[in-house]
Amino acid sequence: MAEEPQPSNIQEGASDAPAPTGGAEDRKAAAALSSLDAQGDDEAGKKEVDSKAVEKAMKNLSVKDGKGGEAQKKAVKIEASDVNLLMSELELPKPKATELLRANDGNVLKAITSYVTPAFA
Amino acid sequence: MPQPLPSKEGSLFRQLVKNYEAKQYKKEGIKAADQILKKVPDHGDTQAMKALILNSQGHGEEAFALGKLALKNDMKSNICWHVYGLLWRSKKNYEEAIKAYKMALRLAPESQNILRDLAHLQCQIRDFEGYIESRQKMLSDRSQLRQNWTGLAIAYHLSGNYKEAEHILTTYEGTLKQAPPKTDLEHSEAVLYKNTIIAESGDTERALEHLETIIKNSLDRTAVLELKAKYLLQLERHEEAAQVYRTLLDRNSEYRAYFEGLEKALKLDRSDSASLEKLTELYEGYASQNKRNDAARRIPLDFLEGDAFKTAADEYLRQKLTKGVPSTHANVKALYVDPAKKKVIEELVLSYASEEKKQNGSANGETNGNISDAFEKSVLLFLAKHYDYTLSRNLDKAMEYVDRLVELEPKNVDYNQLKARIWKHKGETQKAADLINFARECDLKDRYINTKCAKYQLRNNENEKALDTMSKFTRNETVGGPLGDLHDMQCMWYLLEDGEAYLRQNKLGLALKRFTAIADIFEVWQEDQFDFHSFSLRKGQIRAYIDMIRWEDHLRNHPFFTRAALSAVDLYVKLHDNPDLARDGKPDLANLDPSERKKALKKLQKEEEKKKKAEADRKQAAQAKATAKADDGEVKKEDPDPNGETLLQTKEPLEAALRFLKPMLELSPRNIDAQNIGFKVYLRRNKLVLALKCLKAAQELDPENPGAKENATALRQHLNNLQEPLSGPVAEAIKKDFPSA
Repeated sequence: MAEEPQPSNIQEGASDAPAPTGGAEDRKAAAALSSLDAQGDDEAGKKEVDSKAVEKAMKNLSVKDGKGGEAQKKAVKIEASDVNLLMSELELPKPKATELLRANDGNVLKAITSYVTPAFA
Repeated sequence: MPQPLPSKEGSLFRQLVKNYEAKQYKKEGIKAADQILKKVPDHGDTQAMKALILNSQGHGEEAFALGKLALKNDMKSNICWHVYGLLWRSKKNYEEAIKAYKMALRLAPESQNILRDLAHLQCQIRDFEGYIESRQKMLSDRSQLRQNWTGLAIAYHLSGNYKEAEHILTTYEGTLKQAPPKTDLEHSEAVLYKNTIIAESGDTERALEHLETIIKNSLDRTAVLELKAKYLLQLERHEEAAQVYRTLLDRNSEYRAYFEGLEKALKLDRSDSASLEKLTELYEGYASQNKRNDAARRIPLDFLEGDAFKTAADEYLRQKLTKGVPSTHANVKALYVDPAKKKVIEELVLSYASEEKKQNGSANGETNGNISDAFEKSVLLFLAKHYDYTLSRNLDKAMEYVDRLVELEPKNVDYNQLKARIWKHKGETQKAADLINFARECDLKDRYINTKCAKYQLRNNENEKALDTMSKFTRNETVGGPLGDLHDMQCMWYLLEDGEAYLRQNKLGLALKRFTAIADIFEVWQEDQFDFHSFSLRKGQIRAYIDMIRWEDHLRNHPFFTRAALSAVDLYVKLHDNPDLARDGKPDLANLDPSERKKALKKLQKEEEKKKKAEADRKQAAQAKATAKADDGEVKKEDPDPNGETLLQTKEPLEAALRFLKPMLELSPRNIDAQNIGFKVYLRRNKLVLALKCLKAAQELDPENPGAKENATALRQHLNNLQEPLSGPVAEAIKKDFPSA
């Protein structure tokens, strides 16, 4: 069957690397290639790192952490017995059970009903 | 504090640590440990190291006992706690492992190794708050490393704190004296990563702005262009978006997503007839640029209607069939959802078949005989596939067409395979399996037909034959032979079909064994991400890493998992209802009277023992061979329960079912069969709220589903026959959500 002509600006196989022939030249090339891959594997110091700047940045970070770190959690009274009930009836791990209660203002019934209601993403 | 050692033993201990790291377990490691312990029998650190080595050698139980002993001897040693954590981790009990790591870290706050292990574990179990904390420590310990900055940003990002994540990355960029060279892949990726964070935070405007500043130096040209087009489209800057999509199409004109983007950017709506002309023009433009382009020719078939569709389809089909493209039917079958289009296609190809005959009779038939031959064959093949396809099925007709093809080329693999497939759809599994085996023999080196053949054999319940077929292409010297290799290679389709075939034959143990193997493979995939928490950072491939983490979170919504899980859970429920099934296909003992039952049981036991002995002999021979070969340090253990008998004899089938059920309900909630089977499990476990949840989900998915209706009745009955009435919030919730009770 006649082959369909390709667009003039395409040259078949042009971008492909030449097939390896196994000569010494190729082995050198392969070594160079694999050393390319190794970049970033070794420890610091190779890159120009301005240690003073880094130190300063770190200080700024820690100051910021001290100020506005903890997000205020909603103050909801959670009964331990309610958490236990959810853990056994809904087979949830403790953190999830607590979260569910908190989301429902600590109301067990509300928590159960909202959990049972199907919610498809 | 670690107990002091005499100097000779001290250096021996250092040697021991080195041995462990170099994986020199057997000769050097254990020997050194024993030597130290001879002098100082209660040295905790040494015992811990020995436990670690034992664990790596596969002696888990022994290792654990020793690890605990080590801890008892030296509660204040960070090594003992670290090892204890590692042992828990290899048992996959991550919570305990984290506790142990934290103790170790308290004893040795400066230890990078412990901190790193802890951080990775926290990420693995998605404890992002803990991960942030650990990452922060790692950063303050070694703030010169870019990795540590990026790591902290990842922790914030994954926990949903976009602002802080971006801030961390920006802070690090601010410390760079000069811009890194263009070839710095880590930098290019990190900057692009920051861009995706900005976009995910919802601020597309700023994401685009930032993208413009990095677009020139970014090494991932495709990614930046795609992002740019996406942002522009989101910001409704349509003209610019269209331009970028055109650039992308110049780079790859087969990628459908670019065409979709371009359509949106040009504000062309397929359902609006006014747009149709422009759409047609657009695709004609791209089609004329390149004669081999498929996308620009195929996409219009989706939106064209009536005569325009007929003309376009005719052109498309003729071109493909003349070329003899075997996948022509697969290319167009998606159109069959529209009955009108299905009809047009059918008529068109039928007309080709009849016109071909006429042409063959004409005078110039001989000169281009080859071409028309090929055309005729592809037309026949198309028609055979057409009538085999589920939306246009007429198996007798399909058989007619394929028979004509087989007549032309009796030894053609594809034609015979298709014919076997038609037999399969007719329900003739035996004929299908025989025929496809014939097709396989036509080309023994073709792995595809070999695989198909094994599948058809499994559909025909020929498990052993199928394994034999598969063994033509597996590494048969693996421990466990071909089946062992199929497990190693995680060949899930085979395990699944094998299990389902056993299930059909009522060999429940083997069936359960295969389904469990599927669940195990998914667990391995989850475990596999562990290495990437550090590897991806080291390589600087953050975007790919984030993609992977998100993929892992819904790993088990894969159809293979659901298929295995549905069968397995169903099997467990049946096992719960009728524990005698655990005898696996043996006579139904429940119906025998006591004296006969005893006899039958005895007979069975004898048979069992005989079988076991034969098995053991066979295994011994195989093992002798295998251990001789597998000398690369990792000794693979022989499976102690090859037929799944132990699995079947579980005392708690419903609890065992949860391993399959929970991920399925969480990740494939829209599967109604999953909800229905979930109900059955929870009702039997007396978790009424959870049963109700499954029932409600099923009812919402399909109110008319018979399974759901049956379950509703079952729940009502259960509630009516309760020994003591429910109380508390559970009762209230059920009353509220299941009022008919």
